[in-house]
Amino acid sequence: MKSTLFRLLSVATIGAAALIASPAQAAKIRVVTTLTDLADFSREVGGEHVEVFSLATGVEDTHGVPMKPSFVPVMNRADLMVSVGFGCEHAFLPALLEASKNPRIQYGKPGYVDCSPGIAPLAVPKSTDHSEGDVHPYGNPHYMLDPVLAKTAIQHIYEALVAIAPQYQADFTRNRDAYLAKLDAKIAQWQAEAKGLKGVKFISYHEEWEYFAERFGMKVFDTIELKPGIDPTPRHIEQLITGMKAEHVPIVVREPQFPEKVPALIARQTGATLLKLPIMPGGVPHTDTYIEMMDFIVHTMVSAEAKRG
Amino acid sequence: MNLKYLIGWSSALCLSAIVAQAQETNEVDKLDQRLKQIQESFEKQQREMRENFERLLREQQAQIESLKKELANIPTNAVAAPTNAAPAAAVTTEQLKELNTKVDGVVEAQKQVRPNAFNPSIGLVGETVFSYRSKGADETGSSRPGGFDVYQRSVELNVAASVDPFAKAYAVINASADAQTGEATLGVEEAALQTTSLPWNLELKAGRFFAEFGKLSYIHDHELPFVNRPLALDQYIGGESRTDGAQLNWLLPTPHYVSLTTGFGVGFGGDSPLNNPGSYRSLSGFNYYGRLSTYFDLTPNIQLETGISGLINPSTQDRGGVLVQPDGSTLTEKERRVAGLDLKLSYVPLRNNQFQRLDWGTEVLYSDSRYLFNPSGSLDPANPTHTAGWPAPSPDDYDGNVGSVGLYSYATYKWHRQWSAGFLFDYMQSAENHNDVTVAYSPYITWALSHWNQIRLQYTHTDHNAASGLHPDDAIYLQWAWIIGAHSHGWQAR
Repeated sequence: MKSTLFRLLSVATIGAAALIASPAQAAKIRVVTTLTDLADFSREVGGEHVEVFSLATGVEDTHGVPMKPSFVPVMNRADLMVSVGFGCEHAFLPALLEASKNPRIQYGKPGYVDCSPGIAPLAVPKSTDHSEGDVHPYGNPHYMLDPVLAKTAIQHIYEALVAIAPQYQADFTRNRDAYLAKLDAKIAQWQAEAKGLKGVKFISYHEEWEYFAERFGMKVFDTIELKPGIDPTPRHIEQLITGMKAEHVPIVVREPQFPEKVPALIARQTGATLLKLPIMPGGVPHTDTYIEMMDFIVHTMVSAEAKRG
Repeated sequence: MNLKYLIGWSSALCLSAIVAQAQETNEVDKLDQRLKQIQESFEKQQREMRENFERLLREQQAQIESLKKELANIPTNAVAAPTNAAPAAAVTTEQLKELNTKVDGVVEAQKQVRPNAFNPSIGLVGETVFSYRSKGADETGSSRPGGFDVYQRSVELNVAASVDPFAKAYAVINASADAQTGEATLGVEEAALQTTSLPWNLELKAGRFFAEFGKLSYIHDHELPFVNRPLALDQYIGGESRTDGAQLNWLLPTPHYVSLTTGFGVGFGGDSPLNNPGSYRSLSGFNYYGRLSTYFDLTPNIQLETGISGLINPSTQDRGGVLVQPDGSTLTEKERRVAGLDLKLSYVPLRNNQFQRLDWGTEVLYSDSRYLFNPSGSLDPANPTHTAGWPAPSPDDYDGNVGSVGLYSYATYKWHRQWSAGFLFDYMQSAENHNDVTVAYSPYITWALSHWNQIRLQYTHTDHNAASGLHPDDAIYLQWAWIIGAHSHGWQAR
């Protein structure tokens, strides 16, 4: 009995020693992003040196990502916390940051990456009164749907990665430049494809498309929401339909996180085409990367307009 | 045998030491290599910077030489220039003056807003409850009158701000209408300091706050999923879990979410009477509590959160004074103990969680308080002061524990951004007499016009058994709650 025990303990000790002896893997930079587009950029720029986790999966409302306690240990160990900024994540990020107890990634710390500096925001409200709904005090935060402005986010992520791991700067630079070259080529392609969208009006459920419209020359006629975060009243729906008919607005955009009933009703009543468009990668099938998502959005808009013509 | 044993263990230990040393040497080598790489990279960068600087200097020197040559040619054209220069200079001065005025205006405007720069975020919550109860307060035991009532339950001012890089602070000051006079009774519900940068995943809170016990005890009234706090929480905790003390929270350093909270305080329960410490409070006069909680993502759309909580006050010193029972006997509390198990299962579809959600929450509590029982009812309730020699024990007084069970269970379904409905079941044995049982059933429906404005309609049927001396009644509540100003989405509200 004693000899058996001795043998077992020896094997266990040697086994443990062997495990300790195995060469330690180089620690990857742990990046947590709020949304999936930022996660895609982080993977592209960080390459093999990063381990990326996105709080959103792609199907959520960007203002309504659930505050899951399972996010807390992930954020607790994060080296970088990447956010869109402009108050986009105000409904879930502040509480999660506090619960994470990670001093490295709190607001203002080097590990907190706000991707909005350098972007001139659209629709900065004159008043932050709630009579205007759930307004964003710093302006519309949905700039990531403009691929040119999205490059600012790539640069912020790059700078944060270089600051935290300067030994990999050459790799980050190469990755960033390669991805930017790919993205620039796609931007040129999208702008060429989307020439027919200039001046085309559309409505969307939430005010998510202002930057996209400005980039591709489209016009946001109105939103289905009465005000940001406030569901439409029957009167507002009626006014929308009347206005769309008068102005010949041909497209209704429904983001996947909003119900279909009212957008479908408006589309039927006005003869407009109802489009379901994602607002971040993963929002609809086969849009797992930012480029795939923008491909889908541009192609869908262009096809809808082409059919109308 | 012993020698074999010794040799074997020694070999294993030596091998471990050698391997560990090899590992250490390996690590040192790697660090050394990395340091060399960084040094080489730094030197390379320095060289490149120096070369760039020298090249820039040469280019600028060439430009200066070129400009000097151009300047040398200017005098032959300069005579004609002044006739054109004067009007341009006048325009420039005017524009400059206008620009200066604008800049001065902006600077002044910035100075004006600076006094507000460090103001805390401020929000105000208002909550009014309109109600009808079929029986009077003497039959229901309620602190509010039966029949028709309007109760301004909350006018709650919330302020919060960072104190410094190490802590933040917040306060919740509430005014509610006194049941008898209707006058506003102002009270500080919470005023606490919370650390923000402790190591080892620790967070310390101190001051007056709602202690983390169970799941709903530390939620403010207007944030509850229904109109009234569950009976078991009202009875065993005393409303909200308010205490004056300190609380330490530890997020365990594990990949799985586990949170441990422990604390102590004077008093526990916003509506709970305090102990009677007299002129000296010993450590046993404090309330000590703790909660261990964890969470599971059963599927991407289904979440389970569960926790266990405990509270002990070793010496309550006749908390609440002399407690008169329906049968005329009296008792005084000597020790307070409460344990709880909470569970919340939620269906939160990621795709449209703003428009659809199902929550099922349950909490089971066990109260095990020790009392001095006075069956003859000889203790004088009108003289609750704990003075020396009081209360005079009578021969039939005896010490004993009362174990009581209470629970609530609710389910709320949200099918629209604005609409949700649910049902709450209450079961509560009195902490002073577990034969005294109250059961209540409450369906409710909520209309959230917006995130800051909601109306809730709730019906409650309450049944008491004979031991309580109270009578069943039916009530209808209409609750209207609103928020103005800053309102953060706190961790407890998830």
